[in-house]
Amino acid sequence: MTNPDILIVGAGHNGLVAAAYLAKAGKKVLVLEQRATAGGQLAGATLASGATVPGLHPAGQLRPAIVKELDLARHGLTTSAADAPYVSALPDGGLLRLVSSANDTATIEAIRRLSPRDAGRWPEFVGFMNRAAAFLDAAYSTNMPRLPRIELRADGLPLASLALQLRRMGGKDMFRVMRSLSMSAVELTEEWFESETLNAAIAGVAIHGVTLGSMSAGTGFTLIHNWLNRGGLAHRTSTGGPQGLTEALVKAVLANGGEIRTGAGVAQILVEHQRVLGVRLESGEEIKASTVVSEADPRRTLLGLVGAPELPPEFVWQTQSIRMRGSVAKLIVRTDGRHGLPDGTVAIAPTLRYLERAYDSTKYGEMSQDPYLEVTTLGADVMVHFQFATYALRNADWGSMRPELEKRALDTLALHFPAFKGSIQSVQSITPVDLEQIVGPDRRRPQSRPADPRPDFLHAAVAGLVESPHPDRRPVSLRFGPAWRWRHQWHPGSQRGAPVAEGLAFCGLGGATRCEAKRHAAAARWPPPRPTTDSSRAPPASG
Amino acid sequence: MTAAIASSARALGVEIRTNAAVDKVIVRGGRATGAALANGDELTARVVMSAADPKRSFLQFVDQQHFPDEFVQAIRDFRVRGSSGKVNIALSGLPDFTCLPGEGPLHRGAISISPSIEYVERAYDDAKYGNFSRQPYMDIIIPSMIDRDMAPPGHHVMSCFVQYAPYDVEGGWDDAKKEAFGETVISTIEKYAPNIRQVIVGKQVITPQDIERIAGITGGNIFHGELLLHQLFFMRPAPQWADFRTPLPGYYFGAAGAHPGGGVMGAAGRMAATEILKDWQ
Repeated sequence: MTNPDILIVGAGHNGLVAAAYLAKAGKKVLVLEQRATAGGQLAGATLASGATVPGLHPAGQLRPAIVKELDLARHGLTTSAADAPYVSALPDGGLLRLVSSANDTATIEAIRRLSPRDAGRWPEFVGFMNRAAAFLDAAYSTNMPRLPRIELRADGLPLASLALQLRRMGGKDMFRVMRSLSMSAVELTEEWFESETLNAAIAGVAIHGVTLGSMSAGTGFTLIHNWLNRGGLAHRTSTGGPQGLTEALVKAVLANGGEIRTGAGVAQILVEHQRVLGVRLESGEEIKASTVVSEADPRRTLLGLVGAPELPPEFVWQTQSIRMRGSVAKLIVRTDGRHGLPDGTVAIAPTLRYLERAYDSTKYGEMSQDPYLEVTTLGADVMVHFQFATYALRNADWGSMRPELEKRALDTLALHFPAFKGSIQSVQSITPVDLEQIVGPDRRRPQSRPADPRPDFLHAAVAGLVESPHPDRRPVSLRFGPAWRWRHQWHPGSQRGAPVAEGLAFCGLGGATRCEAKRHAAAARWPPPRPTTDSSRAPPASG
Repeated sequence: MTAAIASSARALGVEIRTNAAVDKVIVRGGRATGAALANGDELTARVVMSAADPKRSFLQFVDQQHFPDEFVQAIRDFRVRGSSGKVNIALSGLPDFTCLPGEGPLHRGAISISPSIEYVERAYDDAKYGNFSRQPYMDIIIPSMIDRDMAPPGHHVMSCFVQYAPYDVEGGWDDAKKEAFGETVISTIEKYAPNIRQVIVGKQVITPQDIERIAGITGGNIFHGELLLHQLFFMRPAPQWADFRTPLPGYYFGAAGAHPGGGVMGAAGRMAATEILKDWQ
């Protein structure tokens, strides 16, 4: 492609979604991907050992509006299976099988065996969680203001509409939602249910992917967040899996005239006089464009690709303060098919204490002795999500801890599924260090600097922002830093941290989440009108 | 401080009756009309305000039939787990801290035993699983350094605020466990002030259960309820009832379990009084 309008760094699902919307709006969009395949964390990978593994996540669901607007069904995206079961493996060898539906009689019967009172509350709980997730979904589709500055029309109206939506839930639900966000998973579940078995099963979903324990404040929020993204407790896998999702997005980009170059790692985002000029690839090739959208995590984008010298000091500090503690490992186990695991999402989360103890170890730089596991099967393949495996091991390194990681995961699973060990044919493990190397190697990192960015699946701990003492660090409005929204325009002379560079935008998990790309990248608003009444927002004089 | 507030109140015409435990709030015609004391006395008043904790104020003093179910549930859900203990130590001399030997400004200030983030976190870990901290976080003051009347000449009292000591400790608080807790506190101090055992002449160990018994605070939580975001501001003590009024007309609530929460600041009492006066006309 010659003279692209917009460069997108990274062909993960957010980069591809942004590219498809921008291409659909008639822009000349070029996506640059360092790896040989598109898909980011959803793509398969070749490990250092030479082994290949499928995508890192068992499932994913784009927001329905994106599927519709990008016509992804036409590009081959299949609908997810409804009523996927979530199965908690119990210490006595039993299974608690939950379908996240208010009226699934088998689920209600299973809960009744634990507690008749809890069985009576289950339908109300599912209803509440669905409504709370819908509210979060609305918040995730709302552009967050660059506080403390609020433009009445652009920011105030969407925020007011969000507040109205919360109010319309009615007094009871409104307070429940507000209370739930800051609660711990233990506090939240114990207000609903008395059965520890049930509460622990739910709390597993609340701590999934974050470096927080079931007793940590803010895991009420992550429960609702994960409920929204999964559509309940269980992952809903679709035929074709996450790779099918990537393929559909790639087709949507290409069909709209966009171009994707793989094997094209970006070494630097070129900036001059706070204006983005384009990028330099690792090959040395330079590509000019007036707009660059980065899908890489915020630290890597700003400190690695743009570089601290181009940033205001306060903003460098804010970027360095983003919490990105990765603590997840993955195992892919190939079996002969007789693994004995049930269908659906299987969790090893027998008690709240078990989950909390698994978390405690990560605080002190250790891997969980008895890990919280979440397991999904695809035929004979078994995918294991392992928490907690801290990136920053204190007295060991991941090179030597790999056998121990595999042993603890497989032993824990075998405890609940005796047939499992005998069915194993091969095991591939992905440590947090492998993950960093697969999806986010910062090849420009000087040797002397500490190993960052750390591999955080969510590109910056979701609830890490909730636990911040900063009074208004709400996860939705302050994703990656106060006063920073997904789009960064130049504010010369601004007292608050001035933005990086005109023409640089974010679309990864650390910036806007999912569907914001769709709304804000719409052609009608691109490039954004620059208000002339507010001199602090005006671009710098050219030359 | 207490004496000054009491004196100020008396000067304004307030009568304070001690040894007058309230058993029930009297409700007539859907209104709080007074209080029945444990000794059988009944007192009538236009307004009753509780400064007890939310559980006692709403689940004990008043029959639940006078409140909406949702309100009762919210008070039941209110978290009040006490987690701090206190060890008061009588000393025949000052503790000599190795970090600052001899008598010095630290004896007049606050002494904190919190050597690392990990230390504090591990102290909390113990409490999560129902144990008192094996190496507790401590906030120590020696008030007799300021108020010489508190101890005989040359003697001192040392007050140690200790975390964590969970209310519902595994196996319950008995004399042996209290003794073990006190010993843990002293041996922890000993690491920083090795002469402590030689100067101890007496000690008193107070657990959250003692706080509950002595001060009548449910759960022995010094804040009358945990300072968690979901039970603060307009949700303290319950959603829709953070303005010091209660669902029972004539019954008000103005203590640490109300907005703005615990701490020796008096804010809840002042705001409650203001709201009561607003309703008076």
